[in-house]
Amino acid sequence: MATNKKYSLAGFYWLWFTLTVVGVIISIWAPGYLMPMSMSSNMHLTILTMVVFSVAAAPVAAGVYAATAYLLRHNVYRGDSVPPAAKDQTRENARLTIGWILASTVLTVFLLIWGLGALSVDNGGNEANPLVVNVTGQQWLWSFSYAGTHVQSNTLVLPENREVVFHITSKDVTHGFWIAQMGIQVDANVGTVTELHTTPNKLGTFDIRCTQFCGLNHAFMVTQGQVMTTQGFDNWLAAQPQRA
Amino acid sequence: MNRSKSVATALASVVLGGAALALAGFALASNTPHQKTLQCVTDATQANTCNLTFSTFPDSLAGQHGATGGPHPDWVSYSNQAMEVPANTTVNVTIKQYDSGGALNNYFFDQVMGTIGGTATVNGVTVTHVDPTNIGHTFTLRGIPGSGSSLFVSVPLPADSKGGTVKIGAGVYTAPNIIKFSFKTGSKGVYEWNCEFPCGGSRQGQFGEAMSTYGYMSGTLTVK
Repeated sequence: MATNKKYSLAGFYWLWFTLTVVGVIISIWAPGYLMPMSMSSNMHLTILTMVVFSVAAAPVAAGVYAATAYLLRHNVYRGDSVPPAAKDQTRENARLTIGWILASTVLTVFLLIWGLGALSVDNGGNEANPLVVNVTGQQWLWSFSYAGTHVQSNTLVLPENREVVFHITSKDVTHGFWIAQMGIQVDANVGTVTELHTTPNKLGTFDIRCTQFCGLNHAFMVTQGQVMTTQGFDNWLAAQPQRA
Repeated sequence: MNRSKSVATALASVVLGGAALALAGFALASNTPHQKTLQCVTDATQANTCNLTFSTFPDSLAGQHGATGGPHPDWVSYSNQAMEVPANTTVNVTIKQYDSGGALNNYFFDQVMGTIGGTATVNGVTVTHVDPTNIGHTFTLRGIPGSGSSLFVSVPLPADSKGGTVKIGAGVYTAPNIIKFSFKTGSKGVYEWNCEFPCGGSRQGQFGEAMSTYGYMSGTLTVK
């Protein structure tokens, strides 16, 4: 049928509103189920960022979906011949254009400010006595050494509530050092040491995975780590063989 | 083209595409050499103990690839790829290391780790670590992600015994370094092992060729 008839936009607005509410609910509810358990301040911030960004994006996504549904409902031509030219095309709408540009600007500036703030928190270290752990990636195993000691290990053990500074490098190709539960991920590059800060704040185990495809046994480049109490960590460190 | 014809064409495309992929997979699997699994031999003198013996060579002429050396006779290789050991057992491993070597790119692997007592013997001498600048290969065994296993064993295999030559199959090699160690298996599962000495050549880090192809410097250890 020809689509020259004007329709009320009330249905569109209702659909937009409803989808926005659904989007906001999903944005707040889903990360708790989809994201790994938080074991550090970084991961807490990552989850919060995910929620805030999703909530901010919900009305935009809902608007696109609602407009698509509305147009498909009212403006699809189903005839067999060439469709006639529409008589009521809207070619310019200053209010819509300005509103859309303003909304986009506000949203992107907000995301930028939030992102820079989160980055600054992630990169910042403020403890006087952080634990420094040297992380080395090699096809296809992670190894860790603890600065100020002669301890080397293939597993990563960290104390609770103490800032940890990772010095990350690679011996062969580019690897990706990723601890999902701590919200940290960075490339391990040959000949370069990359610094990363975190503060574990929950006891338990976590996984360290390589996120850069690095060869035959890349899939096996996974090791487990553990966050212990300060006393437990000190005991573990003391029990490790000291490398000469 | 009418609707039913379009649907039939789409379905036929999917079926034919799937069949082509299956055929390619079958051809690939058929051409992959299937090596015999190396079994751990029960030790008649000690309860819950078995012995596992294998070798490392500077080529592929004396091990699992047969006398011709398979498609890459000049590639370094372990004599066996697939190994099988019993659960909850002490495994006595003997490795005959025939290859030359050089310096590790990560000295972490000069240590003996995960063995009983944290030691190994090299030609009868007990060691906890070896010279990192003279390594032939390493035998590094770890649990496969998601298997729940935490087994980790890594033993460096020194290079160059300087003890004359021996002939094995079509190859002539320097007399081997004999490395022995023991470890305990836990519950059933499949573990992955590989060499951590950069002996593969061709790529950055020397982890190409034999290091990047199954059947040479890596394999599995099945605990049954």
